Formats: sequence, structure tokens, C-alpha cells
Amino acid sequence: MFGYIRIQKSELLVREYEAYKSVYCGLCRQMGRDYSRLSRFILSYDCTFYAIFLMSLRRSCTGFERKCCRFNPLKRCTYCSAEDDALSKAAALSVILAYYKTLDDIADSGFFKRTAYRIVKPIFARWRKKAARRYPELDKIAADMTAAQQLAEKDSNCPLDKAADPSATMLSSVLALEAESESKKRIYSQIGYGLGRFIYLVDAADDLEKDIKNGNFNPFVGINDRNNVIKNNLSQALAMTFDAYNLLDLVGFKGIIDNVITKGLPTVQNEILTKIST
Amino acid sequence: MKDPYEVLGVSRDASDSDIKRAYRELAKKYHPDNYNDSPLADLAEEKMKEVNEAYDYIMNSRKSGAGAGGSGYTSYNSYSNTSSHYANVRVMIQQNRLDEAERILDSETGEHSAEWYFLRGMCYFRRGWAQQAMQYFQRACQMEPNNMEYRQALENMTRQQGFGYGGYNTGGMNGGSDCSVCDVCAGVMCMDCLCRGCGGC
Repeated sequence: MFGYIRIQKSELLVREYEAYKSVYCGLCRQMGRDYSRLSRFILSYDCTFYAIFLMSLRRSCTGFERKCCRFNPLKRCTYCSAEDDALSKAAALSVILAYYKTLDDIADSGFFKRTAYRIVKPIFARWRKKAARRYPELDKIAADMTAAQQLAEKDSNCPLDKAADPSATMLSSVLALEAESESKKRIYSQIGYGLGRFIYLVDAADDLEKDIKNGNFNPFVGINDRNNVIKNNLSQALAMTFDAYNLLDLVGFKGIIDNVITKGLPTVQNEILTKIST
Repeated sequence: MKDPYEVLGVSRDASDSDIKRAYRELAKKYHPDNYNDSPLADLAEEKMKEVNEAYDYIMNSRKSGAGAGGSGYTSYNSYSNTSSHYANVRVMIQQNRLDEAERILDSETGEHSAEWYFLRGMCYFRRGWAQQAMQYFQRACQMEPNNMEYRQALENMTRQQGFGYGGYNTGGMNGGSDCSVCDVCAGVMCMDCLCRGCGGC
């Protein structure tokens, strides 16, 4: 369920796109520093968005520097840096989520894939342990979500809303950690809930065909007028996010976050809907 | 009080028309219609109030009292029906005490009334459980098709489900049908803004 929170590149200003890329590279570098070079492979757009969101809320971006790319020595990248732990926190969330996703995949996959996941699991477990030491609250939220998700999916008739609830609640709690006042907390929670619900449902819609073939759980199985239900629920989740987001007065990276919420996510939705309707 | 120019996001030397434009943008953004039934309605209302005050303040200080009377948007409360059987549940929902409200509703057995379905749906809606909320609202509307309150809730949901970020329509799947409600709202909103823009005519 990674990689759905994307920008729409064509609609960004060049400087915004460069800033976005530099956060992406900054996060990549941070993961290499905090965990290991290998951990850079689990870098995701979702956690990049989380990093940007954190830096925007905390106004903690301190600038950009051009240096050699850690992957490709012939390339030069711009790296974003923050005065606080925004990048570290996003890196921690990346490895924590990757670990819990692996657990989930081991439970869900066929023999060969399962074996592959079992081999990488100890590596992820080591990173996760390190991340959990620094951010126990993030680890707890992710662990709760995984438990709730497995419980919900045991019931093959689980209603759609209930199936989406663990992911939505997870993101909601993760963002709520940043709130410094009660009203901010309500806004962040709402943004998180809508986004989390959107990610879960988009992912479910994306995997629909595969899940039907393999007999895995999917909340959209057995629903009448499926395409419309998917479309309506996705739009609704975005509307929820958007309405709450509008109550924030962000300054830094506003253009990028606006772009993700009002253009990137609808584009993702569009792609998935087109895919399943053909 | 916050700096009114900062609230509207304009510079101090902005022209009156720039200020009006900024005000209209913000008024559209925080308009109560966008936050119908939302658990964040009160926060949006605060923002709206702030914007109204800032606009009134700037206009008053510039024209020294000409025009710009009274705040443009007053909020309305769809839960004013206090004589209802579920008055306490309505209050709980309003205050986002959803667990308590749900416990009371779920403890009732036997045939449920339309209002029960409406309120149960509202609990789901506030939690973001859109699919369930839709079904409960539809049920309430079926039972009492003439009830404005239930219809409004359902229409509000339909509007959000046809959510298109100002014209962006997701896929050509069944375009066309979802914008009628939006258009009406937008129309009313524009009219409202224009009226306001003329200096409270």
C-alpha cells in the first residue's frame, strides 16, 4: 500500500518540483544515515509527503545543498535539510511501516513470495527495532493498526468502512502526534483519517483483480455497482481531507502539499478507476 | 486580534478590489456549506468569523464607517430540533461524543424510526465511515421522504461524493450527473459574495 500519495509533476512550479525532489533525496540520505544503505530501497512517496508535511507544520526546513548522489556517483542531487528531526521521523516511519507490511505479506502470500519475505524479515526487524527505540509512539500506532487490520480481515463480510478503519486511524494518530493544541489535533486527525482511508481504498481497488483471483480478502468483493461505490468513497475520503486541510494555514511547501491533495491524489484515483473499468 | 491584513493574506497597500477578491476567496473556502455535518464545522465557523472581522475592520478603517456592515455569513445549526426524542443524542453528536451517542442508539431494540437511522448515519458520517452513513441516510429518507433534515444530509453526502476539486471530474465513468447540487451551491455562494462585495447592499 505504498506510493499512492504522489505529486502531479506537470502542475508544479519548477522550484517546487526541485524542492520536492530535494526532500526525497534528503529522506533517502537520512535513511542511509539512520539505518543502512540498503534501507534506502524502501524509500516511498508516502513518507516523502509525511516529511514535507512535518517540515511545513514545524517550519523546520533549513535549506538545500548540492552533493553527489549516493546511488549514482555520476549524478548530483540537491539535499534538503531540517533543523529538527522531521527527516529522521519520516525515515523511522518508513522502516516501521515496511516491517509491518512484511508481516502482513508473509501472512497473505503464496509459498515463493512468502519465503522471500521471510528472508528479508530479520533485516527489517532490526531497523524497526532501532526506529521503535527512538519513536515508540510511531511503532505502537503501526502495531495496533496491523493487529486491528488482521482482526477485521478475518471476517470476509467485513463492511468496507470497518476494513478501512485501521489504516485511516493509523494515519490519523500519526499526524495527531504533531498537534500542539486541541483544535489542531482535530484538524490533523481528520486529514489523516481521510488520507488513510483513501490510501487503503485505492490500494484495495488496485488489488481487486489479484485478490479475486487468489481468494484474498478485499472489501470491494461482493459489492453491487462496484465501480460507482469505489469512485464515491474515494471522492468522499478526499473531500474529507480537503475540507480539513483548508482549515490549516501552511506556509512552507504549501504549493507542493496543495498539489498533492488537489491534483496528485485525484490523478491516482483516476488512474485506478480507469484501470478497473477496463 | 490578529493582523487583519495577515488574515486575508494581502499586503497593507493592497487595493480595495484586491482585498475584496481575497475576502471572497476565503469566504468561499470556509463557507458553512462546505462543512455541513462535518465534525470540524465549529473550526470553520471560527475561521469564517475571523475573515469577516478582518474584512469589516479593514473596510471600516479605510472608508471610516461607510458600508461594510454586519458579518456576511452567519452559521446555522441543523441540529436545532431539540423537541425530538433524541435531543440528548443530537447534542452528543454535535459535541463529537460519538461513542456515547452510538451506545445509546445501539441499545435500542425493535423497529427503528427514520430519525434513528438518520442519527446513526450521522455518527458514521462524522467518523468518516461514508459507506455506512450513506446507507443509513438513504434508509431515513426512504422512511420519511419529506423530511428536509434527512434529505439535506443525503444531498451533502452526494455532493462530497461527486467531489471534483472545482471541475476536476474523476474519470469519464458517469460524469455529468454529479455536479447539479454543486452548481446550485456555487451559484448561491457567488451571488452572496457579490452582494457582500457591493458593500452590504
